[in-house]
Amino acid sequence: MTEPSGPPRVAVTVDVNGVSVSRQVEPRSLLADFLREDLGLTGTKVSCELQVCGVCTVLVDGRPVSACTFLTADADGAAVTTVEGLSDGRTLHPLQESFVDNFALQCGFCTPGFLMMAKALLDGDEPPDRAAIVEHLEGNICRCTGYQPIVEAVEQVAERQRGGAHG
Amino acid sequence: MTLPPFALVRPTTLDDALRELSEDAVPYCGGTELLLAMRAGLHRPDALVDLKRVPELAGVRVDDGGLVIGATERHADLAAHPVIRERLPVFARMERHIGNARVRNQGSIGGNLCFAEPKSDVATVLMALEASVTLAGPAGRRVVAVEEFVAGPYYAEREPDELLVDVRIPLRDGLRGAYLKFQTMERPTAGVAVLADEAAGWYRLAVGAVGEVPLAWSFGSLGEIDADDIAARVDPTPDLSGSEEYKRHVTAVYVRRALAKLERVSP
Repeated sequence: MTEPSGPPRVAVTVDVNGVSVSRQVEPRSLLADFLREDLGLTGTKVSCELQVCGVCTVLVDGRPVSACTFLTADADGAAVTTVEGLSDGRTLHPLQESFVDNFALQCGFCTPGFLMMAKALLDGDEPPDRAAIVEHLEGNICRCTGYQPIVEAVEQVAERQRGGAHG
Repeated sequence: MTLPPFALVRPTTLDDALRELSEDAVPYCGGTELLLAMRAGLHRPDALVDLKRVPELAGVRVDDGGLVIGATERHADLAAHPVIRERLPVFARMERHIGNARVRNQGSIGGNLCFAEPKSDVATVLMALEASVTLAGPAGRRVVAVEEFVAGPYYAEREPDELLVDVRIPLRDGLRGAYLKFQTMERPTAGVAVLADEAAGWYRLAVGAVGEVPLAWSFGSLGEIDADDIAARVDPTPDLSGSEEYKRHVTAVYVRRALAKLERVSP
């Protein structure tokens, strides 16, 4: 860890999907690069790098952020959830099941971002209605599906939440 | 794409933050504008002065008949804030619809104003509300109206050694307000705010996004507001969201719609 001539580093301790990770990072390290390159969590994708497309969405302390434009240093002490954190490796998360059931993906590149955005919404106090889902997801771009199956997938999970049924 | 290298400074008091600022050490909060500008090569500061640990720059309170919003408050928190939702619902609703949910969770109100993005919903509504900002610098504090602070496209009246401390919005009992925008891309084509305080005979209209800066006007009654006259008064910038002629047309349509919406808003 001794790097006398390297660039200055910032110590960060981040809870990533329930695992505490401590690293020294450059101040300019972006959370998307930290996750993908330092930790090998390549489920989070990167595309527009302008906070417009939403594919790099992860949750920082439950809030959706664009990991492409979020300094790793700002995640120090926070809990970060990525798409890898949705499932335990055996059972899919209800949102993932619903995306499969509703054919809510084709190429799949935008899917991690949509899943994390949807999770942030469904983790709120009230299960959202269709209008709230459409509004919340309007900052995510999908080039394959035409959005309807995605909205329906999220709506189904919200309906199950509202009904209190297990799912 | 990687950002250019920089040092990260994290002061915990306003005085320390002010001491760190210079031409090459710039204020940093949510990064929704600054990091994009740095990645695009438009900006290459030596240091970012992170303001998120400075308590004097945070918080929302009612003070002296006005709402005081700390510069580092994020849009999502302002949209959900109970005092703002009760006292200034038009402002809370605008905050709930700016950018997208990620931008609202990262971006701050102070950063939005300091970047003076020409299509900022925040600046348009604040100008209509006759809001002002408090700036702190080595020589002390000064208060500047948002209409003067947002001086040009991507240009705010802030000296490099100054910080925007808070935004101050006068509160009016019985205020009614509506903000409507037309948006097909990530930023609006036109945004229109209309406000009415009948008891005080105070009426305001602001139009943003069409030109280099939002513009606001006062009226003696709602009847004085002529949508075609407003469309003639704005100074549209032709861009990907429309030509000058198109933006004037959209402005007139949205002034009419905002007035119609205001009629349905109860005090």
